[in-house]
Amino acid sequence: MKLGLLALLGVAALIGGVAIGAVALPPGEVIAALLHPGAPDSAIVWSLRVPRALLAFAVGGTLGVSGAALQALVRNPLAEPYLLGISGGAGLAAVVAIAMGLASAWLLPALAFGGALVASAAVYRLSLVGGQRLEPRTLVLAGVVVAFFCGAIMSALLTQTDAPRLRNAFLWLLGGFGGASWPALGAFLLYAVAPLLVLFATASSLDLLSLGDETAHALGARVERTKRIVYFTTALLTAASVAVSGMIGFVGLITPHAIRGWLGSIHRRLLPAVFLASGTLLVAADALARTVVRPAELPVGAVTALIGVPVFAWLLRRSLA
Amino acid sequence: MARTRLLLAAALALAACASPPSRSGPILLVDDAGDTTALAGPAARIVSLAPATTELLFALGAGDRVVGRTRYCDYPAEALAVPSVGDGIAPSVEAIVARAPDLVVAYRSGGNQAAVDGLRALGIPTIQLATDLLDDLDRAALTLGRALGDSARASALVRAMTDSLAAATVRVPEPPTVFILSWDQPPITLGAGSFLSQLLDRAGARNLFADQPQPSFPVSLEAVASRDPDLILVTDEQEPAWASRPEWQVVPAAREKRFVRVIGSEFNRPSPRAARAVRELRRAIERAR
Repeated sequence: MKLGLLALLGVAALIGGVAIGAVALPPGEVIAALLHPGAPDSAIVWSLRVPRALLAFAVGGTLGVSGAALQALVRNPLAEPYLLGISGGAGLAAVVAIAMGLASAWLLPALAFGGALVASAAVYRLSLVGGQRLEPRTLVLAGVVVAFFCGAIMSALLTQTDAPRLRNAFLWLLGGFGGASWPALGAFLLYAVAPLLVLFATASSLDLLSLGDETAHALGARVERTKRIVYFTTALLTAASVAVSGMIGFVGLITPHAIRGWLGSIHRRLLPAVFLASGTLLVAADALARTVVRPAELPVGAVTALIGVPVFAWLLRRSLA
Repeated sequence: MARTRLLLAAALALAACASPPSRSGPILLVDDAGDTTALAGPAARIVSLAPATTELLFALGAGDRVVGRTRYCDYPAEALAVPSVGDGIAPSVEAIVARAPDLVVAYRSGGNQAAVDGLRALGIPTIQLATDLLDDLDRAALTLGRALGDSARASALVRAMTDSLAAATVRVPEPPTVFILSWDQPPITLGAGSFLSQLLDRAGARNLFADQPQPSFPVSLEAVASRDPDLILVTDEQEPAWASRPEWQVVPAAREKRFVRVIGSEFNRPSPRAARAVRELRRAIERAR
């Protein structure tokens, strides 16, 4: 029931994302463009708006689910891809490329992806206690440390970069869907679908994990294996997200909490709901990002927080009342 | 601003009336921040913190008085012989002081106020000049001329720049629209408040986003597609790779690779080379059409 409601909201957001944009098109023309690929505005609608809305939805959903899974894994409400250093590695690789003038359109996502994988491998290696056990508390600390380290290198590099490139690197880091296209969506789905399915399949283990390692073990979960799977799938998902849209924070942190307060924390229901809600949030944020100051655009990460924080504050107050 | 101009005009009138070039005695400078700075006499050791002011100083025949520059000051070639003090935005006060200047010409920017205050606190006369647009050039040249104690030469340079720009300026009945792409990921374009936009106006073309006052901003591809530019201006050395990306195919000028390519620092900053830049841009536009 609640899942159905979220799905409806998601569809509404997608329709809205296709209906509005930098160019004001009357709804009739948008529909005509959707139905007849030869219509005057069909290039704008089909080549730009539709893949952009879908990509925003997929990336939003992916970041949300990654956040929810990581929160269960480390049993820490602050966990999200940002905190665990994964985005930091991706951002660092991208900034290095931009600062050195290497940032071609195809290379940048690939480098960001590589950076995220290296950073997550470093975090993983750091947090293996005694060579085997993945200790949640150590994982959080290792993530924070790696994120800070990446951030420090980025700041140092950015001061050595000339002004226009610096600005571009910052804009890239703030995230956005300006480069969305069908191939970008295709590439993202190619990377993301399998890890997402894996995460959904671990839902019941996540329920056990969030109770604590000992309890989970006593209840029959293969704790270490699940933790490793969850960690690497979320790393993969985050890397793919950063590669296509830069570093979009906040979605992975807040949406899981909001949905947990509303739906409870059974992951089999939580994960799909978080996917729908996060996707909806990002599509709505992106629609605003490209229309509020048109023909200019706002960084979508900023808009996400501007919409999300008041909503979250309201939910928080309501759940405490 | 108006008051600054008025003061400056009055000062110039005075200077023009009765001042032999090497007159000694205090010189009062009013800069683009509205601050008044006193020099004991014509500046002899100048640190210039913007490529545009470095070019102007050399054009005013004062290259030998420039004792410090930024690492971006690469024109004229002789400027490269001057020791660099590093960055022009948030510059290193220590590196500047080490050059023992009697005048520092800073680029006017919010990020520079702390350094300017620091230099002034050390007793080093420091002025801030905006050098973002063509219109800034004359004012900067005249202020520098006063600082050098050679206002006559500055007036002559301003006249020469004005005349050569007027001669290079082209007016056409239906100027082609040009989309300026300064970065492709995310797409960033330049608005009316940019030097390149001003060059386009003079080169007989029109910036596609001339209705946007800001110097630069991330732009929606959708807006570019619907405004359908005649040409795309790129300042990159290599062939633009983004143009073959799928999302750019909605922009006919990108699909058909109708590019205007210009390379060189004369397109990045206002300078005495602006007239040459306008002519080169005009040729590039004609080639591309």
